[in-house]
Amino acid sequence: MNDGFSPVLKKSKPDDFHLITLIAQSRQDAINELYERYNRLVFSVAFAIVGDRSVAEEITLDVFVQVWQRAASYRPELAKVSTWLIAITRHHAIDILRWQRSRPEASSVNWEDISPQDGPLLHNLEEQIEGTLNKEQVRKAVAQLPEEQREALALAYFKGYTQSQISAALKQPLGTIKTRIRLAMQKLRKLLVEDLDGS
Amino acid sequence: MMEEMHVLESLPAYALGSLDAAEAQVIAQHLAGCHICRSELNAFQEVAGQLALTAPQAEPSHNLKPRLMERIQSLSPSRSRTEPWRFAGPGLSVGAIVGLVLIATLAVSNLLLWQRFNQLEVLAGPLGMRAIAVQNTDAAPNASGFVVISADGQNGVLVVDELPALDAQHEYQLWLVRNGNNTSAAVFSVDGSGYRGMRIEAPHTLLVYSSVRVTIEPTGGSAYPTGEQVLIGSLFNP
Repeated sequence: MNDGFSPVLKKSKPDDFHLITLIAQSRQDAINELYERYNRLVFSVAFAIVGDRSVAEEITLDVFVQVWQRAASYRPELAKVSTWLIAITRHHAIDILRWQRSRPEASSVNWEDISPQDGPLLHNLEEQIEGTLNKEQVRKAVAQLPEEQREALALAYFKGYTQSQISAALKQPLGTIKTRIRLAMQKLRKLLVEDLDGS
Repeated sequence: MMEEMHVLESLPAYALGSLDAAEAQVIAQHLAGCHICRSELNAFQEVAGQLALTAPQAEPSHNLKPRLMERIQSLSPSRSRTEPWRFAGPGLSVGAIVGLVLIATLAVSNLLLWQRFNQLEVLAGPLGMRAIAVQNTDAAPNASGFVVISADGQNGVLVVDELPALDAQHEYQLWLVRNGNNTSAAVFSVDGSGYRGMRIEAPHTLLVYSSVRVTIEPTGGSAYPTGEQVLIGSLFNP
């Protein structure tokens, strides 16, 4: 039975950018393959942000539909495909979170609360995601941040708080929060992007 | 002093989406005209992308994929295609590959065949020659084009139509993409109707490249893509 999917695509495993170009040319098998590669990552991020499975699934659908509609505008020199997908996912999920105004109390938000240290290693995702980084490397990098920086970063990344909102929630001066986030991202950039590029 | 001309300190928060709306808008306006800050932003966006790996693993429902494919089908049924269309043309007994490419170029320049071609994905012609349509982007919504490649990949032609005319400081540049790397293959301008046909110059056989892109670059071309992307297409090479 012809399932409509190209045997060449199944056999050759094109890289992510090639998939995007095929999607731009309306290849259903290409969007199917991209979904297979990234549906768990996209859903995981969406669920971590909104905390509701059905909403996270709708976000996941919307993300891949956006890719289907915007594939021709993707520019590889700006970001990897995985980075692009995550940016779309976070943007959409945070928009929904802010619209729902469902803010948990932010008295204490640790990175570990959102990302358990004893969770299973994502071997399937590691195989799918471009580049050499894996989940444990990223977690180790985050663990090197001072607690106050991790806290501010967690609120920004997984709860969609603006710096002003973090300042109010943690009762810290806005300038302090801005510094914490900036230093945290600069440190992570050095550990996750620059040092690896140089190795 | 140089720092004040840029918005480097705000970029980490901008990459996270954690700036207030008004500040984010100011940053976005600056980024539109500053390649230094855009380059810095890319690095922080990469960090944001990696942080996603720390999200607890979660699995969507098994019915999510069928729902996705249904939604895609419903968006544009005429757009979705799954199989390349095969053109059963008359065989040619003779002809150098370059000649075949030229014949194909002249043939598809015919308006009727052009319109027909725009509805198709790939034409497979005599002696293994392929003609592949490329997709336009929002930057050139009326543009169209195709690439013709000989069977051995040693010869190729790009034909474009209705690309917008550019000012004297800019030209179009064709890129061949392989493993995420861009190789310049042509720098060109178009005639009054936005039409141009040209031979593709490549250091390797075209069969090793996975995609083609056309971007807007400074006159003379760039070492790597820097401008708006106007056309993109897969070469369907495994």
